[in-house]
Amino acid sequence: MFSLAGHSRRAGRGAAQSVATLQGRAAPIALVLRHLRRILLTVLLGGLLGATLVRLGPGFGVDERDLDQRLGTESRAAIRSEHAADNNIALFYLRYLSGLVRGDLGFSKSLNRPVAELLKERLPLTLVSLAYGVLGGLGIGFALALVTVMWRAPASDVLTAILSGLCLAVPAAVIALVFLWMGAPGRWAIALVVFPHVYRYAKNLLVSTYQLPHVLAARAKGLSSLRVLFAHVVLPAAPQLAALAGISVSLAFGASIPIEVISDTPGVGQLAWRAALDRDLPLLVNITILVALLTLVVNTLADLALAARRPAE
Amino acid sequence: MLRTLLALALAAAPAVTVARAAGELRFTLRSDPKTFNPLLVEEEPSETIRYLTGGVLIRLNRYTQELEGELASKWKVSENGRRIDFELRRNLQFSDGTPFTCEDVAFTVRQLMDPALHSPTGDAFRSAPGEVETKCTGPASAMARFPGPVAALAAQFDQVAVLSAHSAHKEAAVLGPFVVADYKPGSYVLLRRNPNYWKRDANGRQLPYLDSIRLEIQQNRELELLRFRRGELDIVNRLDPEMYDRLSKDLPHSVVDAGPSLDMELVFFNQVSSAPLPDYKRRWFRSTEFRRAISEAIHRDDLVRIVYRGHARPAVGPVSAANHFWLNAALKPPVYEPSGTLARLQRDGFHRAGDSLVDRDGHKVEFSMISNAGNKLHERMLALIQQDLAKLGIQLNVVTLDFPSLIERISRSFNYESVLMALTNVGLDPNDQMNIWLSSAANHQWNPNQKAPETPWEAEIDKLMQAQTASQDANKRKGYFDKVQQIVSEQAPMIFLVNPDALSAVSANLKNVTPALLHPQIFWNAERLSVGTGLVSQK
Repeated sequence: MFSLAGHSRRAGRGAAQSVATLQGRAAPIALVLRHLRRILLTVLLGGLLGATLVRLGPGFGVDERDLDQRLGTESRAAIRSEHAADNNIALFYLRYLSGLVRGDLGFSKSLNRPVAELLKERLPLTLVSLAYGVLGGLGIGFALALVTVMWRAPASDVLTAILSGLCLAVPAAVIALVFLWMGAPGRWAIALVVFPHVYRYAKNLLVSTYQLPHVLAARAKGLSSLRVLFAHVVLPAAPQLAALAGISVSLAFGASIPIEVISDTPGVGQLAWRAALDRDLPLLVNITILVALLTLVVNTLADLALAARRPAE
Repeated sequence: MLRTLLALALAAAPAVTVARAAGELRFTLRSDPKTFNPLLVEEEPSETIRYLTGGVLIRLNRYTQELEGELASKWKVSENGRRIDFELRRNLQFSDGTPFTCEDVAFTVRQLMDPALHSPTGDAFRSAPGEVETKCTGPASAMARFPGPVAALAAQFDQVAVLSAHSAHKEAAVLGPFVVADYKPGSYVLLRRNPNYWKRDANGRQLPYLDSIRLEIQQNRELELLRFRRGELDIVNRLDPEMYDRLSKDLPHSVVDAGPSLDMELVFFNQVSSAPLPDYKRRWFRSTEFRRAISEAIHRDDLVRIVYRGHARPAVGPVSAANHFWLNAALKPPVYEPSGTLARLQRDGFHRAGDSLVDRDGHKVEFSMISNAGNKLHERMLALIQQDLAKLGIQLNVVTLDFPSLIERISRSFNYESVLMALTNVGLDPNDQMNIWLSSAANHQWNPNQKAPETPWEAEIDKLMQAQTASQDANKRKGYFDKVQQIVSEQAPMIFLVNPDALSAVSANLKNVTPALLHPQIFWNAERLSVGTGLVSQK
């Protein structure tokens, strides 16, 4: 209780210092703008690269209807001309961006629906899954790292290393199968994919922070181990830990694809899978941009937190 | 590996008890329907919804394979297959209460034949350029005159769901037994009974018996099977042989093998002149003796026994034994005889050189066969074909590709040597195969879009197919098409391997089931099906 109060007091002080520092700095808004510019450029470039990869991939522009024996010559020609419109990737992307400005995300030919509708229907489910997965992964990873660092018992180190190594080595699809077998929600499978990455990073960070001179000094002064942990180890390492969130989001989304496919969950992961199989360019570009945006925003928030914290250290 | 793990995981999964509405039938769709407009249907989920909701003028009885009047009590085809006259049932209503009239028939035909619509159903009626003429010929009669003769004109109307010309609900107003009540993308489509459905049973009770049909959107076949075992689903359509056998051990009374379906597995070689192939390989693939030798070298009985676990029949040709009328009964499947096959190859200049077969110029006979990745039946068939051909000294290299890449190779770039694929027949009539057999057609897959037939036998097939489509005499048409089947058997442009059986599983709760060979095999008489009620738990 004492250490928690101390932590909150320090946290409060830290936050106040950070705000003061940000306000005191010459261009905090410029920093945010610089990040926004970076996000925008990366997302646009990512979308273009994604579109180019799909365009150059084998099977682009073909349609299963090519094999439909019932179709006449004119219908076939019409189908081919539909796809031909996307052949010039630069023109496609310009058209896409101009539509994006008007709020039009394009049309999915493979699902015969506007992309905006598809994302609107499926995004909430995936966002909830990602939230469970990322928060669960961060929670499990950080808790195990803490256990390992605090106990410093070889047994706990070996056990957690085996557990994280196992989850790291086993494909997300197999974890999804195990969850299916247990009748557990697939969203928790995402947490198991995320946690080993968090665990390793958090453990290394905590170990190295424990070795910093101020921690050694605090321990030499006889502060309680909990107080040392929260006030002098976790708090300074918090921004770096927060930076994990960005990576975790992209990891979690990657895992959500096989997990949603195997558990037949109608989310964006399943949609991405269908889009890839069908070479659905507008859908794939939108999903690429969405994932890039999500990852970059979380990364940027972590960066800003780190920047705000740095002068106080 | 993943599939096996999935099967094991699901077999051990705990049981759950599921509450469901009384009088509700449940089964799955593999994906979301692309459209609810019956004229634009092109894939199976949309077709299922059209079948269950659409009212048609004439229906092909899936069990007897005979045409029956539905919204039309009588019909007459005339003008050598250009014109059809319908006498309509009176006092019928769409699901929203709009009266059904002859104007609806005329409206539907006009919509169907709109060139801008590019309706696959409409294209089947488009045998010549020009416009369709359609009108009411009386208070309860209508006619349609097409620009050219349409073979099996009446049968084509089995696919045409009549739209309302006047309803504000457009295609949502239907004349079939069910109406779309709810759709949650990625989850389910809910159909409810049409309160205005016109059919009654022998006791005068209005059909359908079911209150609703819930079509769960489920891609994962193992999950589908698990849900069937748990009693959450009543039907599993298109079971694969392995699933069928697994299910038959646990629930032997639930599985149905209706016999060979219309579908077929086949192999063909690339004979396209402009294909990026070495000349000597093109010579092999264009050689009738070579193709027939490959056909005879494949042990079809092994494919049936090992890959299909006995749930298939060796294919005779382009017509399945399921197609009672159009099958050329004189044809037999090629006899597997490696020594005779080698003799055939030797007649064409091939000979053994050590372990390998070489052609007359000394080129080792080696080619690739592509197929779609993830299809375990195809993967197993390829392994067996590889073994069979190795006995002749032929090296077969197996390549699996995802479906878009495969389509690109066989229909755009022609960058392939041979392909193993499935052909899903949508109808019984040879006219449905016109685009396969005409040398000028895009689906003349081994050498499509020919300006003029490149071989005498293709010219002969063109003539026969044109003759059968121009005739309205069923026996004459059969004569022409028998000859086509014979030429195909002799020339082997497509090597037909097996006709898989129509396998499905049906819950004991479902009543009045009469499995048919034709799609939709179990629910073809959906209006007469009924289910038990209450909580269901079988495991």
